[in-house]
This record gives sequence, structure tokens and C-alpha cells, in this order.
Amino acid sequence: MTFSTGQAAGASPLPVDEDGKLTLTLTVNGRTERVTARAHHTILQVLRDELNLYGVREGCGVGMCGACTVLLDGKPVSGCLLLAPMAVGREITTIEGLETPDGELHVVQQSFVDHTGFQCSYCTPGFILATKALLEEKPDVTEDEARTYLAGNLCRCGSYVKIMDSVLDARDRLAAGTGPTTSGSDEQ
Amino acid sequence: MRGEGANDPAVKGRYSGMIDARQRVTGRIGYTIDLAFGGMLHAKLLRSTAAHARIRSIDVSRAREVPGVVAVLTGADLASRSDLQPYFGPVYRDQPILAIDKVRFVGDPVAAVAAVDLDAAREALALIDVEYEELPAVFTLDAALAEGAPLVHEGPPRTGETFADVIVKPQEGTNICNSFRLRKGDVEIGFAEADEIFEDVFTSPPVQHVPLETHACIASVVNGQITVWSSTQIPFVIRSQLAEIFRLPQSKVRVIIPTLGGGYGAKCYPKIEPVTAALSLVTRRPVRLHLTREEEFVTITKHGVRVRLKTALKKDGTIVARQSLCHFNTGAYADIGPRLIKNGGYGTAGPHRIPHVAVDSYAVYSNLPPAGAFRGYGISQAAWAYETQMDMIAERMGIDPLELRMKNLLDDGDTVMTGEPMEDSHFKELLADATNWIGWSPGAQPERNGSTVRAKGFSCIIKGTVTPSTSTAAAKLNEDGSLDVLTSSVEMGQGLLTALAILGGEPLGIDVDKVNVSTPDTDVTPYDQQSSSSRSTYAMGTAVQRAVREIRRKLFDHASEILEVSVDDLELDDGRVVVKGVPERSLGFGEIVRKSRSGNLVGEATYITEGGLDPETGQGIGSVHWHQAAAAAEVEVDTDTGKVTLLRYHAGVYAGRIINPVQAELQSVGNVAFGVGQALFEEMHFDNGQLQNGNLGDYMIASFEDLPRDLNVSVLEYLPADEIHGIGETGLPPVMPAIGNAIARATGVRIVDLPITPEKILRGLRELDARGSAAEEVASR
Repeated sequence: MTFSTGQAAGASPLPVDEDGKLTLTLTVNGRTERVTARAHHTILQVLRDELNLYGVREGCGVGMCGACTVLLDGKPVSGCLLLAPMAVGREITTIEGLETPDGELHVVQQSFVDHTGFQCSYCTPGFILATKALLEEKPDVTEDEARTYLAGNLCRCGSYVKIMDSVLDARDRLAAGTGPTTSGSDEQ
Repeated sequence: MRGEGANDPAVKGRYSGMIDARQRVTGRIGYTIDLAFGGMLHAKLLRSTAAHARIRSIDVSRAREVPGVVAVLTGADLASRSDLQPYFGPVYRDQPILAIDKVRFVGDPVAAVAAVDLDAAREALALIDVEYEELPAVFTLDAALAEGAPLVHEGPPRTGETFADVIVKPQEGTNICNSFRLRKGDVEIGFAEADEIFEDVFTSPPVQHVPLETHACIASVVNGQITVWSSTQIPFVIRSQLAEIFRLPQSKVRVIIPTLGGGYGAKCYPKIEPVTAALSLVTRRPVRLHLTREEEFVTITKHGVRVRLKTALKKDGTIVARQSLCHFNTGAYADIGPRLIKNGGYGTAGPHRIPHVAVDSYAVYSNLPPAGAFRGYGISQAAWAYETQMDMIAERMGIDPLELRMKNLLDDGDTVMTGEPMEDSHFKELLADATNWIGWSPGAQPERNGSTVRAKGFSCIIKGTVTPSTSTAAAKLNEDGSLDVLTSSVEMGQGLLTALAILGGEPLGIDVDKVNVSTPDTDVTPYDQQSSSSRSTYAMGTAVQRAVREIRRKLFDHASEILEVSVDDLELDDGRVVVKGVPERSLGFGEIVRKSRSGNLVGEATYITEGGLDPETGQGIGSVHWHQAAAAAEVEVDTDTGKVTLLRYHAGVYAGRIINPVQAELQSVGNVAFGVGQALFEEMHFDNGQLQNGNLGDYMIASFEDLPRDLNVSVLEYLPADEIHGIGETGLPPVMPAIGNAIARATGVRIVDLPITPEKILRGLRELDARGSAAEEVASR
């Protein structure tokens, strides 16, 4: 049995082992990872179960809530809808890939910390990754545009006001080139 | 959109944030689903496709043969074992771990599979053959209450240990699983004295909590010892129920709770822990069960409720009597329904001074998924009824709705519906703030602009917290002066760990960053009744402060010995124990721990609230204190499409003392987001018991686009009261009537059945039009 990936036509089929699993070479957070997965396994399952990247989380399983958001070549996608073989040859970024190696938070992460843009935080990695993509796409995004862009990410705790404060502050910090600060929350 | 709570000068300089923020933005906070153990199996449940049926046979033979499948369990397997009793439930033991003999709703677990991976478990599920013999089913309150209705449960209920405040009065031979009765004064006298009497019926549908983290549990049964890691709000009930099911001492059951990805009441009381533990028992391996979103929808819901209110008033608008009849559709299993009907029942009297009140409230079984605790705990359904009726009454009597409420709102010293005197009342202040902010003016007409029309509405509510209740805490002062706080309260995003770190550090002046607060582990952390009912910051916070004060006493005792001065001559100053007036004679906390050779200084404390209600009259102490909130909304309705836009919203809530300003604001906005959904679109649709919209493609929850652009949060603080009021739920019940009242004022269409959908508004507008043309026709004749 063989299985074709989402790569360009002509890519060679991948071999399947006795357990029905493919061996896939993925690029995750800049590292090359070799994993085994069945053809129907999603990137969400593989990232969690094979690579122990728990920042990507299932919320609805049907691509509606955004909790499983990962960046595929920099664009947000629902990890629960993306079959793992389709990610071969693409750059996958998860929340774990945002910190610098010495532990400095990404500007968007720091803004979420400073404004407490979360409660239970199950949705937070999805919001942060979507925000990162949004601000790269449109550095001068308005609040209205951000609301529409982020409407595909759901927060059942309803932390939306603080999430928007975080998003707009991250936009301003990136524009000012100030990068992360740890000056503490705006309430202090 | 900034909250006054956080901006108030009085709270500036306080800690405001979350102590585990960094773990939360890096994805490393660690939920139950992030745990894995060697040899761990994965479980799946086969669920009933019938709403009410006898199980004729279950054939699991083909499922057992699937490679990788380790065990397949049925209810019959469990019922035949002598080492367990297979029923659970926080009040009645009416819920089988897996269906025994019959199924009671579409989604009732019938069989369970444990396999080496989910693919094998899924394949096995598909190979289980169940033969059902369909029985007549009841879905609606009317059907369940009808004479001779099919019974969801036959025979006397299995009872067992339950909460101190629960009074059980089942009516055998009917579908009524419990009732609550309140009699204050004599409503007949009130009705006789009244000038006007209004009778109206209001309904709220079942909705789902939708925690983004669905229920998850890992169980490991080894050598007669059960360990479960579970996404639950209630560790000690899980422990006692597992001990009861598996016939073990409670000390042989260990419940560990990582942080939760949301709870909102869904994760109160046992749900999937019993079946996960049963699978581990038979396989002797750790077993993990994580529900899909579709399964979560049928695991627990908010109660669908019908409330009939009869309210009697004097000509001047003074309420003299209220009678309410409440029916809560509690679904196939009682869960906490038998207790919730009490709060939902007494709650219908509202924050009003009413001399004569009669309440009859019932929990009714049906063949729908079980209903249980849901943020607001019955008060949302009650407030929807009474705050909608208040506006209807104001309109009928020609009184301004604000004036009508102000005339009747409770003041200090008035008796609340459960008979105790009101203390620390802030209803009038909250409602005045809300109506001022929205710009309420009596008699103001809706603003029309083409097909859209705008208007304002408001509401004011009262909510109790579970009483009596018990919380215990321990604390350890370490040899470096840092502090460990041990409790079994559950962090589910409400910021409980941060609140307890702030409160725990306070008596000794220890910084939040030097305080560690445990998550629950029943082997180690002391008892807490439940993380629900907006009680934890107040009740556990009080216990933690008492525990740390005990440490302070010990510190002073040791310091007095070491420094050879009387305890009375010592004081605390900037993290040190100092001899009064002699600042150079002092000891650091860590120094005292080391010099006293204590290892650490341990304090422990218990906080118990007293109260409870008489089973016949519902009088006594309903709540240790009363939570209070008010709201105001401005909406725009498009009369061509029925679309409602919430333009502006004010959420006002009384907090007593604000512990963590940003969390107070977050919880308040969260209540608005929850309430907007329930006001305008959230509803579980059933067709013959089959849920039609049990996924997030068909069931909407509020997104960014649903919140008002202009949202004002006001967390009212009153420090002289020296009390903390929980605000986790308080701001939710006012949302639905505030929005409903604004819509009714804008359109003239009064919707009494939630949610207020565009279809209902358009139907109402058409009826108004038809009535208008009929009237014109009569006039022109």
C-alpha cells in the first residue's frame, strides 16, 4: 500500500509499514522531525502524540473553534483538519516555536501576559498564532479588522476585551520596534 | 471598554494578573489531556442511538477480536461483579456506569472499549451490535408530567450520602425526581390585598457549557488503589463516589486535578471517572478517556425550564405577593438537579421586598441528556422570568420600569425570600449606575432609522452561594521565608491560584511571587466541598487566611522565645518580626523557621458557613451572603431581518472586596459573552431526543463579533463590609433579561421564550402588523 502526500504531482508515494503507518519527515518549529502516522491522522494528533507539543489542542474537531491553530508556512490553519501527510515539505509553527532559545517571549505572547488576555487559556496558543499571522499580514491592522480576522478563534471564557487589548498592544509594540517588555500589566 | 474595577484609584497598586501567565502563553500550562503514562490504553464509549429502550442484547464478540483491543465492557459485565456497585450520582445513585437493562437518552453510554490506540478503539466500537426494544419516551415537561407518562426511572430511587443542604422528596411512580417548597407569609392574603395581579409563563431552553477542553480522565487502578487525573471541579465528590462504587476506603482513592480548560459547572460531579476507572480495573493498565465535542454536548446541559409567575401589586407598584411554579427538565439522570431546583425556585422571588411568597419547584426526569450545574445555577432561568415580567408589569401599569424596581428592591434589614434579613445590599446603587451609564430616561421612545430601531433595557438580580459549605486549607512557611498553600480548590481559568496566593501572602506580607499554591491532590491537599457557586475566593480564601494567621501566631511564639521578649512586644514589619520600638532587634521569617528547628511552620484552618432551609417552608438561611448584579443594554434591531446587534452594555456587579482587579474584569466580561449567546442564539435542538446541533458548526457560541463595541464593566467595591463576594457567575443572569427588555422596547415584540432569535422577532412583528391592520379596518368601518 502507498499513499500520496499533498505535495506536487510526481512526488514519490510514501511507504506504509505493517502497522499501517507512514514515516513522515516534518519541519516543526525549524527542526526536522521524523514521525510515524496513519494516513488519516491529523497534524493535531501527530504534534501532540508524536512530538509532545501540547500547545496545540482539540476544541471542536471540525475546524470551527481555532484552539488547534498552527501556522503552515506562516498562515494559520486548523490542525484538526490538516492530515499529517499534507504537511510534509511545509513549515509548521506551533506556540512552542515562538519563544527564543533563551526563553524570551514573542512580542505577541508578552502582550497577552501583560494584559492577561486569557482565563483558562485553552484557546490562547491559537489566538497568539493567529495574531502573529495577522500582524505579519497587516502590521497596521485596525480593531475592526482584527475582530473580523479573529472571529474564527473562540474563547468560551469570553476574555475578548483583554485579548483585543493584547492584540492592539502587540501591533503598536511591533510598529514601534520596541519588542517585548516586561514592564508589567497596564493595570498596575 | 476598560473596566472601572481595574481603573479605580483604590485598587491601583494591587497585584493584577495571573501568576501562571507565562505557562499559559507558551502552551505549557498542562491540562489532563497533556498527561501520558507507560502502557496507557485509550478508551471510547459506544452510545445509545435510542432515546428510551430495553437492551435486548449486546454482542461484543467481534469487537474483542480487533487487534489492539484489550477490553470491552458492558453494563451487564459491571452489574455481575461483586467488587463494585455500578451506580453513581451526587444525590441519587441513578446513573449506571454503563447502561444496565435499558437506555434513557440518545447518547447514554452502552459499552466501553479500551485499546492500545484510538484507531483500534474506534474500529471496535463499530463492531458492537446492540439490539434495542424501543420504549415510549418523554422529552418535554408536558409529556413527562402527563398522567400515565412512561417512567424514565422505575421504583424507589437509590439514595446515598449527599450535601448537607439537599432535601430529597421524590414522588415515586412519577417522573418528578425532587421538589422544593417555599412559603413566606401567605400569598392568598397578598392576592386579596392586591390591586393588580399578573400571571405569565417564561421558558429557557437547554444549552451546553462548551468548555473548550472537553471532559478528560486518566485512571490507574493498581493493587486496590485507584488514582485518577481528571478535569473536574469537585475532587472530593469524585473521591467519595469512586470509593463507594469500587467498595474502597476513601483513603485508597486519589484524585489529582491539573488546571482545567474551562468548567462553567459542566465539570461538577462524576461524569466519566467511573467508567475510566472500571476499564483500568479490568485491564490493570492506565486508561485515558477524552470526550469528543459531540459527546460533550450530551454529557451535561443547562436545564430547560418553565417558570409560571403570578405577581400581585398595589396600585402604586408595591409588590405584595408572588407565586411561582417552576419545572426543571433534568433529563435522564438527576445529577445535581434535585439541589438546583432549590436555588432556581427561591431565586424566582428576585431581589425584591415581597411579604408573601410561595414557590413550588420541581426537577423532572425526561429522555434528554442529563442537565446539571451550569454557570448561574438556576438563577439565570429565574431571572429571565422575573426581570422580564417586571418590565411587562411596568408597561401594563404605566409605571417607569426603573421606578417600579427602585420601589421594590431590597434594602438592608428587609427580609429576603428565604426569611433572613438582607445585609450589605447594593441593588439600588448597582441599578442606578447601570441605568445612568446607558442613559435611561423614562418614557424615551425607540430611535428609528430606516429599517433599524434602537432602545434600551436593564435588569437587576440576586444570587445565593451554596450554604452551608466547608473549606479547609493548610499552609507551610519554609526556611527561606517562602510560603506553600495547600488546598483542593480547582483552577479553571477563574484565577483561583492567583487569588489564593494574594490572600495567603497577605497576613504575613509575603509577595505573591514567593507563594506557591497547590492544585488538588486528595492524597495531600485538605478537603474542599466544591469549586463552584462563586464560592472559592470567599470560602477557601477565608480558610487560607486563617491558616496563615495560625503560622503568624507560631512565628511570634518562636520569635518571643528566641528574642526573649513577650509576644505582646512583637510586631510584623516588612517581612520581619520586630521588637516594638527596637527595630534593630528583629528576625526574618526564614531565620525564625531555621532557629526554631521547626523545619517549616504549618498552619491549618477550616471555614464552615452555617445555614440551610426548612423542608416545608423554605425559610432559614438561604445563603451566607447574597450576590448582587445589575445590567443595562442598548440594542439595534433590524425590523426587516430580525437581526439584533448589541450596541452597548454595562455589567455591574458587587464584589465586596476586589482581590485581583484584572480577573474581576475578565470574569465579568466572560459573563456577558456567555449571556449574549443565551439571550440571542444558544439552544440545543432535539428531534425525538436526538440532538440536532451537537457540534460547533451548528451550535454557535459568542465570538468577537457578538460582543458590544461599547462594553463597560463596573465591579463595585465596598471595603467597610470586609467581605469577599464571588463574581464568577453573578453577572450572567442579568444579561438575558436586560437584552430582552431592550429588544421588546425597540420592537414592541415581547419574547418570553429564550433565545430571542430573528425568526421569533419577525413572527412577532408580523403579528403586530396583522393586529394593527385589523384595528385600522375596524376603525375605518
